[in-house]
Parts: sequence; C-alpha cells; structure tokens
Amino acid sequence: MGNIAEYIKMAFKNITANKGRSFLTMLGIIIGISSVIMVMAVGDGTANAMNAEVQDLGSGQISVYCSDEAINAEAWITPEDLAMMKEKIEGVEGVTPNDGSSGSTMTGKGEFAVTLSGGTEDLQKALNFAMKRGSYFTAADVEEGNLVCVLSDSDAKRLFGSDDVVGMDIEVTINGMIGSYRIVGVTQQKENTSFISYTYDGMPVSLDVPYTSFAAFGWESDSFYSATVFANDKESGQEVVHDIIHILETRHQCAGEEYYQIQSFQDMLTEMNSMLAIVTTFISCVAAISLIVGGIGVMNIMLVSVTERTREIGIRKSLGAKTSSILLQFLAEAAILTILGGIIGILLGLLGAMGACSLMTASMGSVIHPGIKASTILGATLFSCGIGVFFGIYPARKAAKLSPIEALRRN
Amino acid sequence: MDNLIKVQDMCKVYNPGENEVRALDHVNLEIERGEFVAIIGHSGSGKSTLMNMLGCLDIPTSGSYFLNGKDVSAMKDNQLSEIRNQEIGFIFQGFNLISNLTALENVELPLIYRGIGRGQRHKLAKDALIRVGLEKRMAHKPSEMSGGQQQRVAIARAIAAEPPVILADEPTGNLDSASTGEIMDILKGLHKQGRSVILITHDNEIADQAKRVVRILDGRIVEDYYNEEKKEREA
Repeated sequence: MGNIAEYIKMAFKNITANKGRSFLTMLGIIIGISSVIMVMAVGDGTANAMNAEVQDLGSGQISVYCSDEAINAEAWITPEDLAMMKEKIEGVEGVTPNDGSSGSTMTGKGEFAVTLSGGTEDLQKALNFAMKRGSYFTAADVEEGNLVCVLSDSDAKRLFGSDDVVGMDIEVTINGMIGSYRIVGVTQQKENTSFISYTYDGMPVSLDVPYTSFAAFGWESDSFYSATVFANDKESGQEVVHDIIHILETRHQCAGEEYYQIQSFQDMLTEMNSMLAIVTTFISCVAAISLIVGGIGVMNIMLVSVTERTREIGIRKSLGAKTSSILLQFLAEAAILTILGGIIGILLGLLGAMGACSLMTASMGSVIHPGIKASTILGATLFSCGIGVFFGIYPARKAAKLSPIEALRRN
Repeated sequence: MDNLIKVQDMCKVYNPGENEVRALDHVNLEIERGEFVAIIGHSGSGKSTLMNMLGCLDIPTSGSYFLNGKDVSAMKDNQLSEIRNQEIGFIFQGFNLISNLTALENVELPLIYRGIGRGQRHKLAKDALIRVGLEKRMAHKPSEMSGGQQQRVAIARAIAAEPPVILADEPTGNLDSASTGEIMDILKGLHKQGRSVILITHDNEIADQAKRVVRILDGRIVEDYYNEEKKEREA
C-alpha cells in the first residue's frame, strides 16, 4: 500500500496543478475559520477590557437594594443604618446612600440637563477618578447640608468652556426650585473607560452633591431605596454582605423577610461576562455554519475531481493501486486543502481581529487587545482537519470503489 | 511447474437473466512461460473481456483462472490489485499515462504501489526508460511526447517491475505505421529476452508477428496455432 508520504506528495501535486480551483475550494474554509477566530478573539478581547475596567473601578463595591416587600413596609434604608454599617462591620471603608435627582441649569453656553448624584463624602470612592482641581466635598458638607458639588473636567468644559471652575456657582433648577451649588472640585475624567462612562453631546451634566443638600429643594433625605457599601477587601465580600443584611434586618425588625437585596460588583461582572459569552457563542455558531458550508464546498469539488479523474483512478487501479491507496490519496487531498485553508483562515482571522480591535480602540477610547487563546486556534485547526476528512470521505470512497474496467473505459 | 496461465471452462455473462450477454463461453486456454501470444478477434468477439479476465481486472462468472499457480477467479478486489501489481504489466491502446506526471513518475507508479523505496524506484524506472530508448525524455509530460513515445513510456511502466506477464491491449491501435513498427520491435525484443507477452489485437498483420495466435469469435476460441507451423503447412 506504499507509504503515506507518497500519497501526500501526490495530493500536493494535484492541488498545485489546479491552483485556481484549489483556492476557490479553500475559500469557504478560509472564510469560516477566519470569522470564527476573529469573533472569538474580539469577543474575548472585549470581555478582558471590560473586566479590567470594572475591576479597576468597581471591585469591593456592594450595592444594597430594598425589595418590594421592604418598600411596602416602608422599611427604607436610613442614614443611621449606613452609619452603623461603617462603624460596626470590619472591612467597610465607606457607605453612601444612592440618592439622586435631575434638573437643569443655564450657563453662558446654553441650557443643560443636570443629573445630581447625592451621597456622602464616600461617594468619591465609587468613581476612582483623580481630583484635577479643588477637592471632594467633605463629611462636614454632608453634615451641614451644604450646596456644594463636584463635576468632571469634561462637564466643566461643556458648561463653562474651561475646567478652571472651582469656586464658581451652578444654579440648578429642580421641580421649579432653584438652588445654587458651589463647585468645590473637578475630577479628572479617566481615559479609556468607554464601557463605564461614555460621553456624548446632549448628555446630562453629572454633579456629585451631598445628599443632605436636597433639603434646599424642599425634601428631607432620610430614607433611601438603595445604598453602596465600599469594602476594602474583595475576599471578605461574603461576610460583609452577611453583616450588612444582619444590621438592616435587626434595625428594621424584619429578620428572615428578605427585605433587602445585595448585588456586588463581582455578581455584575459575572453576569456581564456570561452575557458576552452568549453573544460570542452565538456569532461563533453562525460562523461555524459557514465552515460546514465550506466543507460541503470541499466535498463538491472533490466529487467533481473524482469524476474528472475517473480515468486516472482506473489507470492507478490497473497498475495495482488498492481501494485503500485511492481512498488515502483523495482523503489526503481533501485534508490538505482544508488544513491549508484552515491555516490561511487562522492568519486572516488574527489579522482581522487585530484590525477590528484597533478600530474599536480608536472609536471607543478603550484599549482592546484581541484575546487570542491557544485553545481557539487548536480547536479551529482540528475542526478544519475534521471537516476535510469528514467531507472528503464520500468522494474518496466513491473514487476508491470504482471498478478499474469501468474507470478505464470512461474518458 | 504449472503453466503461466491456465484458464479452465471460463464463462463471463453480463446482465444475467433477460438480455443476457455471454461474452465468454466456456473458454479453455493454457499459456506457457516465455510465449508470445496474439489473441485476435473482431470487436464484440469477447477478446476485450478475455483480456480483462487475463489482466485480473475482472473475475469470471464461472470457471477458473490460474495465474502463475495462483487461483485468481475467486479473489477479492484488493487481492486482485496486488496480483495486477505483481504479476502483470499492462500496455493499453490509449497509452493510459497520467497527464500531470512526467514520464519517469508514470513509470514509477506501479513501483510505488508495490512499496518500493524512493532510491530503488528511481533506478528501476530509469533503467526501464533507457531500455525503451527514452533516456532523454524522462522529465517530459505525456502531452510533450508523440504517440509512439507515449506508448514506449507505457511499455517502460509495464516492464519496470519485471512482472511475469506483459499484457498489451491493441498497443498499436492509435499509432502510425512507423511507430507501430517500433513498438512491435520492442515487444519482440522483450519476448527474445524470455518474457511472456500476450497481445490483444484485431489486426492479422500484427498477430502474424507473434509466435502463437489464438482466434476468438462469439466468446469461443475458434483457432489456436503457431505461426511457424501454419507457414510450414501452407508451404
């Protein structure tokens, strides 16, 4: 039966003898493999970039919510609850209620919508932004309900055309009431965090203010739907969560009622990743279908080739080629075609992924590196070999089974 | 020692049942080693079927066929491939060279299927091409050669592996008279070297150049004589 090397040589000879056709045959595989590789690499790269940003920003943050039962029972979270958490729970560095309101303001640059995030001085921890000018508002500001605010440099530029605005006032109108906030600090908008803070024209200006300052607009801020706890240690998250619930349930006398829900950033991260994984898998499936179509293309061309080379098969058989020799020769041809296509596809896919990632980096501001995993490449290679063999078997068997007399008779 | 070829009561029936075609009808034939036999018959006489049987390209419906002492009539496809590879060198009317291979590569083919290593293969194939006078055409493809040259490549392919039987099916059918002369001279030379040559033809002139003639008609052998004896009788 000779040796495999001879069949591979024969197969190469045939492939190079029909270069144009061989390339067209490979095209389906090339497109399939390159799109799978590209989608996977871009998907993984995006996930990595998102994870890095979220890790950077949100690790250690735990959000507490009131459930519908708590709302019905009016067991809102109070400033006293929060103070107790900060005082009693080990590892808690800060707490802030998530209070907020929206309004508008007029400046020399026009009218802007304003979103106010009310919290304690610990709200600063949620942002992880460096202060560019001035400083964040203080515990005293919260205590006294001062109308002070902090905003980002980009918002400052939108409002006033400059970020040198510390000491200036912003007149905010909420529900027809006007309050004048004094700017005490300007934050440095962090670059490359497009997933978290994406800015666009017409987007409301965002101000961080003491939650107590809302008293100036006529409402008392003494009960909240949600709050954020900042833990210093990611590892102790579960214990901290347990302690938070314990304090709330003890203070509101609702042990076991499940009034309060917790979502840590870790949970959100997991959720986000699984969503991204679903999207990536879905697109990969679509790309995999194109691989199968490519495989059918290989089968088609091999079938044509078998018909065209019937006489050659007859000659080979009359000279002593066994069924297995012919089978191997044609199988080798199909396998080489798909493997070559696979290799070209992998290279193109990697190039495509790099291109797509640099485009995304340029347009979104987040740095995305293509996530290239050895397992993806290995998988794609094995898959293309598998396709070559699977779709090569039928034409190869057809060729091998030809009777030499029949085959020689045909032209 | 056994005969080289021993055919006993061989029948080949196509389309059994209705429209039955009896291509071979109880054929008996013995051929010794070193003979030069022409099997002659018109088209449709069954000579091609007989050639397919002798060449182990097909198996008979009934009867037996011993080639070099081996019973071929009951063999499976792969065994037949092996027999063809080891025992028979084919020369076809249409040359049957593979067009994208060079002369040398074509001659090497049966040696590849015999599992002979590269070095020895090259040597055997070159020797065979030299013997048919094509030492200067080894790297040429069939399309770059004349019909006569192509047939000489085919002969080289048939003899490269030194098989016991050389089976030539109308080897001169597609050639002009000059090339026909060349090819016949080569075949006669092979016979002189002691090889067994079986020639299938419809041409009496060609058949006359063999030592023995077997005439076939309607699937039966109707005549079997040695040319020399016939000439003596006629003289």
